[in-house]
Amino acid sequence: MLLEGRKISKRFGGVQALSEVDFHVEAGSITALIGPNGAGKTTLFNIVAGAIKPSSGQTVFEGREITGLPADEICRRGIARTFQIVRPFATMTCLENVLVAAVNRHPRRPRAALEPGARDLLAQVGLADLAGQEARHLNVVQKKLLELARALATEPRLLLLDEVLGGLNTQEILQAVEQIRRLRDRAGITILWIEHVMGAIMQAADRVIVLDQGRVLTAAPPREVVSDPRVIRAYLGE
Amino acid sequence: MISSSKWIGPAVLAGMCLLPLPLGIYPQHVLIVSLFYVMMAASWNLLAGYTGQVSFGHAAMAGIGAYTSGILAAKAGVNPWVGVAAGTLLAALLGLGLGALCLKMGGIYLSLTTLAFSQILHIIIVNEYEVTRGTMGLQVPGLTAEYSKLTYYYILLAATVLVLFILYRMIHSNLGLSFRAVQNDETAARAVGVRVLHLRVLAFTVASAMAGFAGGLYGHYLLLITPEIPSLDLQFYVLAMTVIGGMGSFVGPIVGAFAINILAEKIRDYGEYHVLVFGLIALVVARFAPEGLTGVWRSLGRRRTP
Repeated sequence: MLLEGRKISKRFGGVQALSEVDFHVEAGSITALIGPNGAGKTTLFNIVAGAIKPSSGQTVFEGREITGLPADEICRRGIARTFQIVRPFATMTCLENVLVAAVNRHPRRPRAALEPGARDLLAQVGLADLAGQEARHLNVVQKKLLELARALATEPRLLLLDEVLGGLNTQEILQAVEQIRRLRDRAGITILWIEHVMGAIMQAADRVIVLDQGRVLTAAPPREVVSDPRVIRAYLGE
Repeated sequence: MISSSKWIGPAVLAGMCLLPLPLGIYPQHVLIVSLFYVMMAASWNLLAGYTGQVSFGHAAMAGIGAYTSGILAAKAGVNPWVGVAAGTLLAALLGLGLGALCLKMGGIYLSLTTLAFSQILHIIIVNEYEVTRGTMGLQVPGLTAEYSKLTYYYILLAATVLVLFILYRMIHSNLGLSFRAVQNDETAARAVGVRVLHLRVLAFTVASAMAGFAGGLYGHYLLLITPEIPSLDLQFYVLAMTVIGGMGSFVGPIVGAFAINILAEKIRDYGEYHVLVFGLIALVVARFAPEGLTGVWRSLGRRRTP
């Protein structure tokens, strides 16, 4: 078990965003996190990544507790993320965006030694030609790919993907799913993935955690989840 | 373009070395003061421009440098150069402390805390008359046995080059990549492992040391240290220079410091109103050209060579 959440609760003022969420992610798996809008998916992500602190509960990564650690420390422990609404470093070039992550992973190595690796990552996501381009000039899809390359440059063992397929067309979705699979198969990166595109999840995920109104509804392989009446009810109502 | 930009630095430096020779005492004085402001604005830019910490305590740090060195020299007969080093060190330590205090603060809270620091220091200096001579000012010895504007010009120029060189190296190192990432998006920077808190404290310490250094030299140039140095007036000058020149760019504060200080001399006749004029210019620039003069220049260049 790579990541485990124990009774995680989060309250924002009067809103109970998460209540006593127990979940886990197996090493080497692609685990999807789904649920209707407002179910608490991104809140859970933010807690795992250290962007916010839970009101109570624990997160455990590789057997060590990481609850409440700052985001940069959690990144150094081996968890990287992308953002639902893209956040590239706008006035920096694509190459520099990736290099920021690389130099913070390897603070003692000179930039020149890290540059080939960074260019390689850009090539992997298909942005090799845009290496010298400032990130603000990219379109949304390219920005998402850049965020993926940047996250990979931190050399994570667990990658948190937050709706990376939004805005992609069918062809691009197929390519992206293939790419995410390759990350797991070749680089051995475990993936926890929030996604609304059900087809992609059916295709790629080993296991699906369903959140609804801040609680875990079920956690099972995708085939079982889509036929679960509770899940259908959560999405479509009574 | 790359080959020409390589020569810009040395060419400007050579120009700066020759510049005061044909000039009279008064324009030389204006240039010396400008160099002090270049150091102030460029180091404040490391805080406000690169790490998003809008500190109002930067002039206070210059005051720490000036008064430390001044008091040591005037009361204990310490060599002014040793005094400047001591002032730089004390400013660095206070910067470290202030930076650590403001660590978890952002935006307005950090500004208010540094503002309070600046005001406390000002009150102490004005009231500890026995030590600081209050608003009368403290007479201090010069840096050299013989007083010559030209010598001071070259001392300040060398100091400015040193400060700019350190800043340039920082900004263009791995550290600089992280600085720029924080400047762009703090949340995303943290998410890729940037130690944002370390960077902020480091920026505070380095910038404060530079302000202390600049203030120390400036005090020994003026020969009379007054609470004008650690004042909010001077702080807002530095702010206006950085914003008008171009915050978050390397050249911006340098251009801004020269432009504003020289302009200030020109419109001095209007008395206190010239501060008002700069406030208005800074407002207009912040609203319509947020990247400052250097930003306007860059976008003009882009239009000419598409």
